[in-house]
Parts: sequence; C-alpha cells; structure tokens
Amino acid sequence: MRGRAYRQRVYAPDRLKYPMRRVGARGQAKFEQISWNDALDIVATQLKKVKDRYGSASILYIGYSGNNTCILHTPAVVMRLLNMFGGFTRIWGVASCEGGVFACRATYGTLTTGHWRNDLSNSKLIIMWGWNPAETVWVPNTSLYLAQAKEAGAKIVCVDPRYTNSTATFAHQWIPIRPGTDTAMLVAMAHVIIEENLQDQNFLDRYTLGFDKFKDYVLGVDDGVPKTPDWAETITGVLADTIEKLAREYATTKPAALIASYAPGRTAYGEQYHRAVQVLTAITGNIGLHGGNPAGIGRAPVGKQLGPVMPIGINPNEAKYTYIRERLKRPIPRSGTVHISKVWDAILNGKDGGYPSDIELLYVTHGNPLNQFPNTNKGVKALERLEFVVVHEQFMTATAKYADILLPINTHLARTDIGRPWTSGPYYIFNNKAIDSLGESKSDFEICCELAPRLGIENYSNKTEEEWLKEIFNMSKDLSTDIQDYDEFRRKGVHKIKRSEPAIAFTREIKDPKKYPFPTPSGKIEIYSEQLSNLHKPQIPPIPKYIPPWEGIGDPLTRKYPLQLITPHIGRRAHSIYDNIPLLRNLKPQTVWINSKDASLRGIQNGDLVKVFNDRGEMVIPVNVTERIMPGVVSIPQGAWYRPDEDGVDRGGCANVLTKDRFSPGGAFCSNSSLVEVKRV
Amino acid sequence: MKREQIGFYFNQSRCIGCYTCTIACKDWHNLELEVNWRIVTTKEQGKFPNLFVTHLSLSCNHCTNPICATVCPNNAITKREEDGIVVVDLNKCLGKDKCGAVCKNVCPYSSPQFGTEENARMQKCDLCLDRWVENKKPICVEACPMRALDAGPLDQLKTKYGNIKKVDGFFYSTKIDPSIIFNPKTPSKEI
Repeated sequence: MRGRAYRQRVYAPDRLKYPMRRVGARGQAKFEQISWNDALDIVATQLKKVKDRYGSASILYIGYSGNNTCILHTPAVVMRLLNMFGGFTRIWGVASCEGGVFACRATYGTLTTGHWRNDLSNSKLIIMWGWNPAETVWVPNTSLYLAQAKEAGAKIVCVDPRYTNSTATFAHQWIPIRPGTDTAMLVAMAHVIIEENLQDQNFLDRYTLGFDKFKDYVLGVDDGVPKTPDWAETITGVLADTIEKLAREYATTKPAALIASYAPGRTAYGEQYHRAVQVLTAITGNIGLHGGNPAGIGRAPVGKQLGPVMPIGINPNEAKYTYIRERLKRPIPRSGTVHISKVWDAILNGKDGGYPSDIELLYVTHGNPLNQFPNTNKGVKALERLEFVVVHEQFMTATAKYADILLPINTHLARTDIGRPWTSGPYYIFNNKAIDSLGESKSDFEICCELAPRLGIENYSNKTEEEWLKEIFNMSKDLSTDIQDYDEFRRKGVHKIKRSEPAIAFTREIKDPKKYPFPTPSGKIEIYSEQLSNLHKPQIPPIPKYIPPWEGIGDPLTRKYPLQLITPHIGRRAHSIYDNIPLLRNLKPQTVWINSKDASLRGIQNGDLVKVFNDRGEMVIPVNVTERIMPGVVSIPQGAWYRPDEDGVDRGGCANVLTKDRFSPGGAFCSNSSLVEVKRV
Repeated sequence: MKREQIGFYFNQSRCIGCYTCTIACKDWHNLELEVNWRIVTTKEQGKFPNLFVTHLSLSCNHCTNPICATVCPNNAITKREEDGIVVVDLNKCLGKDKCGAVCKNVCPYSSPQFGTEENARMQKCDLCLDRWVENKKPICVEACPMRALDAGPLDQLKTKYGNIKKVDGFFYSTKIDPSIIFNPKTPSKEI
C-alpha cells in the first residue's frame, strides 16, 4: 500500500529541494535557501571547529534506517567519512529488536535464526506472539502465507493486547495479555510442560545446555515460587486454564511455529521475553525443523537481511565504555557508544552523567530521532543545547526543524543500489535509477564525496556509485554466489532464489551437531549461559526469568498513571515515514485506542478529543473507544509527527512524548513500557 | 445481444483491511484526495474478548439494472452492451450542482463520486477499461497482496468461486442485481 502511494511521496509539494540555513530559533522551522557550496563549507567548518576544540568524540552521529537502500546508500557512507575525519561517538541498539539480538546471541550464538515465510505452510500450529503482519507486512506475502496455512488446516493463535487485523483475519483464538508480562506466561507454559513431562527430552539432551537449571527456576526450587499458570494469571491477566491448554497444545503438536514478534521485547527486560520464547521452542524441539521455528529475530540462512556495506574503516576513539552486545562475542566497535534511548540524556549531561564524551555537534542522516527515540520533550531540550546540528532529510521532520544546516536528500528512485529481502526471502532486487534527483537534492554519498576535500580527506572515494556497488556486491558472500550474472540481474531488476524447499535455520546443527556445533561457547543451544552468568548482574540472569518491569503492572506509579501505553505500528506509515502524505493520512486518523470499560470510567465517548499524559509529556488526540484492546491498556501508533502547540502539548500524536528514555539491561528498547492517564479535554 | 457481464469477486475471509486496493486505484487513475472509486470499510461486532471483525472492499458493482443510469436526467450513464461495464459520459453529465447528484443518492453503494471542483462531473470505477484492452485485470485485483479480489466474466467467476451474493455488511438487491460475488467470512471456530 505504501509502495502504491510512493509517487505521492516522491513528488510531494513539501519535499526539501534546496540546501537551507536556519534563520529562526531551533525548532521554528525558519530557514533560508543557500547554495550547496556555502552549505557544505559551513558544515565542514563546524566539524573542524568542534573537533579541534573538543575532540572528535564530541561529534555524535545518528544514522538510522529511514532512507536506506541495502548495500551502498546506507549510513556507512557517512561513518566512513567521519572515521577518516578522526572518529565520532556512535549510537548502539536496534529499536526494533535489540532484546532479540541479545537473546539470539546468548541462546544460539547467531542472528541467523529465520525461516522463509513459505515454510509456514508446513506448520500444524502457529502461535503469533505479538505479531501483526497485516499492518507491518514483515516480508512480502507473509500475510498471504498465513492465510494459506490457515486454509490448509493450521490452527492459529494470537497472543496480543490488541485484537489486530492479523488476529481478525487469521486467529482461531485470541489471548489478550498485559504488556510486559509475556515472559511470565511463557515460563508458566514451561511449568505445564515440565509438570506433565511433555518436553522433548531427546532434543534437550542432545542439543541444549542447562535445562535443569531453568527447570529449577520454573518449579521454584531456587526461590520457593513455582511459576504455575495460577502464578502467571495474576501477572498476565490470562486465565490459568488458557495458559495450560496452549502449553499442552504447543508441546503435543508438531511441527509448531511459535513466531515471536519484536513488540513484546520492546519492554523493560524485553530480552527475557526473547530468551524465554527461544527456550520454549527448544523444550518442544521445534528448532531446525520445517514447520517449526526457533523464535529468533528472523534472518533466514539464505537471503539474509544486511550487508556488506561500504567499508567504514576504524574509529580512532577507543572504547572506554563497554556495552552488553560486545560481551556476547561481537567485534568491539572502537568508539564510545550511546544507547539510542539515551542520546538526549547524553547530550544534556555528557561526561558528568557518565557518558563517553560531551556532545557538541550532532550529525543526523537516515532518520528522525526526535520523533522516534523516546522522550521527545527531553530531546527538544537536548537539541536546543547543542553547538551545531546538521541534518540530511527529504522533508521538514521534527528533527529537521532543529537543524542549523539542512541538506536535501534524494529518494531511492534517483539512485542505484541493491535491495535485500526483509528479513528473509528468496529474492534480491536491483534498484535501477528511475528518475533524476528532484530540485537540487543529492544522495548522502554525493554529499560525503563533496565534504571530504573540505575536511582535508583525500581518499574518501575513488569510485563512482556504479563501481562501489559492484565492489560491494563482490565483497558479499551470498549475493555474489547466488547471482551468477550481475548484468542480467541488473537488467531484470530481480533475482529469485530457487529452492526445492524453504530455507530454514539450524538444519545442519540439528542433523550433525558434532560437525556443526551451534556457534555458542558450549556449542549447544544455551538455555543456561555461562557468558551471562559471568556478568554477575541479577537483572541479566543466565537463564530467562520473569522480572517485573518498570512502568508496568505492580509499579507503584500505576496509582498515578493507571493505563499501560503501547506504541504499535500502523500500516499507513513505515515508522515516521509517510505521515505527511495526505493520500495515506486520509485513510485512518491517528487515534488513541481505549477499551470501552476504561472509557466509560472516564466519561469518554468515541471520537472525543482526549489528553494522554504522564510526567514526561502530554498530547491531545482523538479517541477510538473500541473492544479491540484489553482494559488497562491504551495504544498510540508510533511515527505520527510531533507537533507541539504553544504550551508544548503535542497535537500531532507523537507517541514518544510519553515514552520513557531508559533501556533494558540487555539493551532492549522499551517503547512499550510507559504508564499514562487519559482525560477528556 | 449482450455477450457477457464483467464483475468482481471479493474473498472477505482473506481481506486484512490494508487499503492497498484503494490506494492502487487512486494512484492508477490519478484520483484527487477526496475521491475514492474503491472503499474499504470495517465492521466490529461483539464485546471484549469475544469479537468478530470483518472488512469489505467495494467499488461500483456494474449492476445488471444500474439504478444510477435509470435516474440520470441526461442519460449520461450507460451500460456497455459487450461487457456490461457501467460507464459515464463526461460530455453528457450535467454535473452535481445542476442535477443534484441523483446518481450518487440512489446508489446503495455510494459508488458515483464527485470531485471538489465546482459542478464536478460524476466519476466512478470503470473496471479499468484501459487495462482490459491490454488483457490485464483491474489494478485493485493486481495490487491485492492477499489475492482477495478478482474480476472477470461473472459466469467464469461463479464457476471458480461459487455464487454467493450476500456478505456481512453488504446490501444485496435483486432489483438492481450487483455484479459481485463473495466468499463471506465466518467467525473462526476453535479447532
């Protein structure tokens, strides 16, 4: 749908077409047009000034995924430039699924944990945990494969606080669950399976490490608390009977695919949800099996999601501050890092706040962090504080309004690149340039090429766009072997990978575990992780545990703010992209969903304007009173554009004015752990 | 002699309510913002947690007896002999201000649409006449990611999909006989 609307986006009247310099206060969006020469001179001068005065670590670079294509036109082109310039401070954490990244590394030792979607037709039971591909698409044709699996007789269960369009179309059973409590339900399912001796003991013995330690936790040997369905009922709001039945069904139906979506992991201790769900797939032996699923983050072994990209070189800023990912066998990035939840706090508090450096210059490309990172109001204060802000953008986003120099970026239609499936799938796409850049807009790569000499860098690029693409293609292991004829691929625009059966993760490891151990320290699926044990952090336990989340059930703050806020995706946007396109905006208004019970308690009627608020911010937004969300929970789709009125009250529906800027001990981005109250305006 | 009637098939049990059909139509036909030749509506029934939600994607149904054509004061709306597609002649259409948009007012599906300009002429789904010439199905059919829409000679559609003319949320009139068949959605039973 978004693709069909893309013409409206490319030629939108509000596209940025010329370089601009700020003339009003930051955030007022008052700019004047200047020449590329002047704009790039100013950017280069500021970069040099800040580096000389404060050191290169005072440059914070935020490059995200907003305007990427996969191979060449990525944030790597900017990182390469900044590394050659002398380094920068970088961000870490994937907003989508950092908890899942943590869990995949800990449990399986790899992120390659997916199945091609057409494997769904091999499943007898599909449990969609917090998963709503009807809105998110999540690999083309995913919803079609789900429909086909259902029509072929698979039973489908949705576990979700909302009755989504996916639930409406696919589910035989809907299990509403309180946000942030998924781990408790999963652990209780393990309790049922263990009590009734339904686990796949052969699988556990052969392929896994530490089941007994997990069993002790589940049965309450350690802490005297058996994690029974009754125990979970009080936490999750799911009836014990429902938990028992689902556990039995999952343990006795093979193959069964438990697809663990990312949303439940975007909570406080969200990595524990990902770990728990992976352990459950091991307990039932649904790993490396067609129709099963290891509940990882979804990259399939053929047609992977990422890379390679343009070589970015070495960041000379030594890592003084380690973070959890690098403790899990990831190459250490040689720079100071700030979690994406903490960039505003880092800018405001710097070294005094325990961050790697004092930030003076912010360079933003491929994203709209003020809108999309938590605690937007704190972000406003941070952006006001900075010495210099440069933003590459296509539209006047919330972040762009705070730029000192705003550089117009072209769309992928004006560039050449190669696309990969997201996150798995049997094809590659050649993105042939279709139109010329609009106005004076350029690609990030072109901008970096022109900035390099101004920064005294001689060897940034000795290749054209075409030559880089070919070089990176050749660097890749999969693209270059899957595709024999580059020119034919380019001519056709697409390469489909032919396989007699769907590619799935861990077939080798299951078939021949001696020859192909799992890439974990023990060579096994690690239900218990020695690496995590060595951290000696009770909030990052070596086995998955339910840890009560902040701003969730049981938090004393519920007395003041009794409603749990979740911030799901909406089909008419890709995160914050497309929110300004009237064709799509007109389809569905931005609303807050609230259950009719919670609405009537507050005298709220469908369509009313309401105030949603907590200590971090407030917004005024129309309300959708619906049965499709469970009582106690409200939802505001993330990505609507921040639009504060003169009192600082958001009128645009930007969910992040309410979210908390704290990340989980394992790195999870906690956009679904916030408490709010709702009032009639 | 009438050769055949082209019509639509809508598989309600497949529809995820994504609006791709609506957007593809608007993009293909360059429709202005306020005009929709194809509309998706959603119906929610039940109380938490026992719910039933259905979507319905509808355009002009190219009725056997198009009531819009009957009421048009200037005979601007006609039904094509060769394929039963209901079309509007923009040169004959008097415009909504002159005639009071009678076609829109009588259509049970609100298919006739008017732009925002003064005395806008009527416009609506023409089953992508421009695409049939090239042996292509309408853009909504091609775009549907769920393959929940089809179009073609109604007899062939009936052979393929059955002859169900009623679906939740749809008004079926024997008098005008809309050229659309359905696969209705029923509440999923626990299995």
